[in-house]
Amino acid sequence: MRISTVLSIPKGAASILLRYYNWSVSKVHDEWFANEEKVRKAVGFLEKPVIEYPNVKELTCGICFEAYPPDKIHSAACGHSFCNTCWAGYISTAINDGPGCLMLRCPDPSCAAAVGQDMIRELSSNEDYEKYSRYFIRSYVEDNRKTKWCPYPGCDYAVDFVVGSGSYDVTCRCAYSFCWNCTEEAHRPVDCGTVAKWILKNSAESENMNWILANSKPCPKCKRPIEKNQGCMHITCTPPCKFEFCWLCLGAWSDHGERTGGFYACNRYETAKQEGVYDEAEKRREMAKNSLERYTHYYERWATNQSSRAKALVDLQQMQSVHLEKLSDIQCQPESQLKFITEAWLQIVECRRVLKWTYAYGYYLPEYEHAKRQFFEYLQGEAESGLERLHQCAEKELQVYLNAEGQSKDFNGFRTKLAGLTSVTRNYFENLVRALENGLSDVDSHGASSRTASAKSVGGTSSKGKAGRSKPTTSRSSSSNRNIDDTGHWSCEHCTVANVRGLFERKRVSLSQPFASGIVKAKSIVG
Amino acid sequence: MANSNLPRRIIKETQRLLSEPAPGISASPSEDNMRYFNVMILGPTQSPYEGGVFKLELFLPEEYPMAAPKVRFLTKIYHPNIDKLGRICLDILKDKWSPALQIRTVLLSIQALLSAPNPDDPLSENIAKHWKSSEAEAVETAKEWTRLYASGA
Ligand SMILES: [Zn+2]
Ligand SMILES: [Zn+2]
Ligand SMILES: [Zn+2]
Ligand SMILES: [Zn+2]
Ligand SMILES: [Zn+2]
Ligand SMILES: [Zn+2]
Ligand SMILES: [Zn+2]
Repeated sequence: MRISTVLSIPKGAASILLRYYNWSVSKVHDEWFANEEKVRKAVGFLEKPVIEYPNVKELTCGICFEAYPPDKIHSAACGHSFCNTCWAGYISTAINDGPGCLMLRCPDPSCAAAVGQDMIRELSSNEDYEKYSRYFIRSYVEDNRKTKWCPYPGCDYAVDFVVGSGSYDVTCRCAYSFCWNCTEEAHRPVDCGTVAKWILKNSAESENMNWILANSKPCPKCKRPIEKNQGCMHITCTPPCKFEFCWLCLGAWSDHGERTGGFYACNRYETAKQEGVYDEAEKRREMAKNSLERYTHYYERWATNQSSRAKALVDLQQMQSVHLEKLSDIQCQPESQLKFITEAWLQIVECRRVLKWTYAYGYYLPEYEHAKRQFFEYLQGEAESGLERLHQCAEKELQVYLNAEGQSKDFNGFRTKLAGLTSVTRNYFENLVRALENGLSDVDSHGASSRTASAKSVGGTSSKGKAGRSKPTTSRSSSSNRNIDDTGHWSCEHCTVANVRGLFERKRVSLSQPFASGIVKAKSIVG
Repeated sequence: MANSNLPRRIIKETQRLLSEPAPGISASPSEDNMRYFNVMILGPTQSPYEGGVFKLELFLPEEYPMAAPKVRFLTKIYHPNIDKLGRICLDILKDKWSPALQIRTVLLSIQALLSAPNPDDPLSENIAKHWKSSEAEAVETAKEWTRLYASGA
């Protein structure tokens, strides 16, 4: 255990200390080094015994008053002697009195010496010790309950976090969800480090990106500016053009999703193939341009999903405050029968959030991870297409029933469809989040070898990294497509490409890990 | 019967209580139950209880010494930490009990409590209030009760 080695105190003493300072390792350090004597006194660590063992054959137990040979007698650091039977009774009584036993002191009423966990284990029955361990672990978990202020501007609520909830995402009573760890908005399945990097990148590029956030784009067919005022990406140009296109890639909507049988592909970034030989300067310019283009691709999709989510939130509120009542009148349905609509919108809001972050994920997924990238883009594409279907159904198809003169015959059919889409999409996104949080570990074709490469890079192949940067290899078209990032680079052994460093730390971080390691720690203290 | 398997500790404590009694305190086990003690505490000098003889009963439960003895005043007493049933508010009789304490230490603590009433941790709200609002008057009442109920007659 860390504490006990740093402070050079026995392990049992370390756990008493940690318990006393509510398991805050840093607090223990601070207090101990600031005033060791005070801490010792408060916690009950004595530097030397108040009673030295006299060199005799027998000692009298201070509880039962019987005399015993020294091996039948125990004492805490103070030296007050009690026989093993009386210790067992004393400890057992304390344990059965409740969690106060975690701060047990010597039975001598004038003595504050702490009775450590090792003594308790040695002198109590298995049953009692088990009970003690349960208190011990529970106290660890409970004391790690923490409270933070909600970071949402103007919100005054404090939010409680329980270690062991399996994820860092918490939701305030004001409905704002945020990450406990970094207090950015909730960002599963992406980890905090990636989020920080991404936000930094966005602020650095913000000037370049302003045009992306513009709410109007020229129709790819008639070139008239079309405003995006709906949440889903399926845009229909105003009459007479009526061209249906995708807001993100400006491609015809007919090329998207299920209708074409092929998979949804406007989520993938494909750089234009460049041919020919470049001189060094030209290549640099080209790379810089590509890097910006690549970033733009991901940023636009990230930002659009963000605004789409905001729109969905507004729609959800509107739905709850106005439309459901109206719909219930028109369609002669009790509002309780319309819950499926609220559920659909809640799902859309959540999915837009997840989808948004998958674009930060995609941006940092290195190019050399060919198989993973491919798999990722497939999953993301499916997610996007599924969400579009759901969003469109909740947004546009519902409109028909809202505008109907009277009860629609096929309203039940609509219910079945929307509820079905909601549940399918929910499942899909849950699996997506899990897969990404596992670092797409199902994909192993390129995985094994790339892991070797990453291990080397972490081990300090800065020279290799430099080589990769200063000596852009032969003019294979792929090498000119790679991004130049503001973080460190290293070269892939398989495709001679400079890659972004730091991705593997991210992959290893599993969201359940803080809890798992916490419990392991508690167990190792106990057992 | 009940005394046949009396722990050594209780026997030793009893012997010592009888052979070297603490000043102002007497405690003797009942003849038919060695776990039941008749106790008498003399009111400490310079306290409102001076001159009084207070009777108490003390019982050692089965779990003793892991659990505290049960003690209560039989003589009526006007004291903020003692209620009208004679129950005593004293930490070592509750959560501060330790098996290393003894009958003797308990009785000495009760005697000390008579010298130093603590109205901030009251058992009798009314008496405590009285004590805090006008201590002199409360002390007078305590003296009067001592005369009335603890004159030892
Ligand atoms: Zn001690
Ligand atoms: Zn003993
Ligand atoms: Zn809030
Ligand atoms: Zn975070
Ligand atoms: Zn058009
Ligand atoms: Zn598209
Ligand atoms: Zn490669």
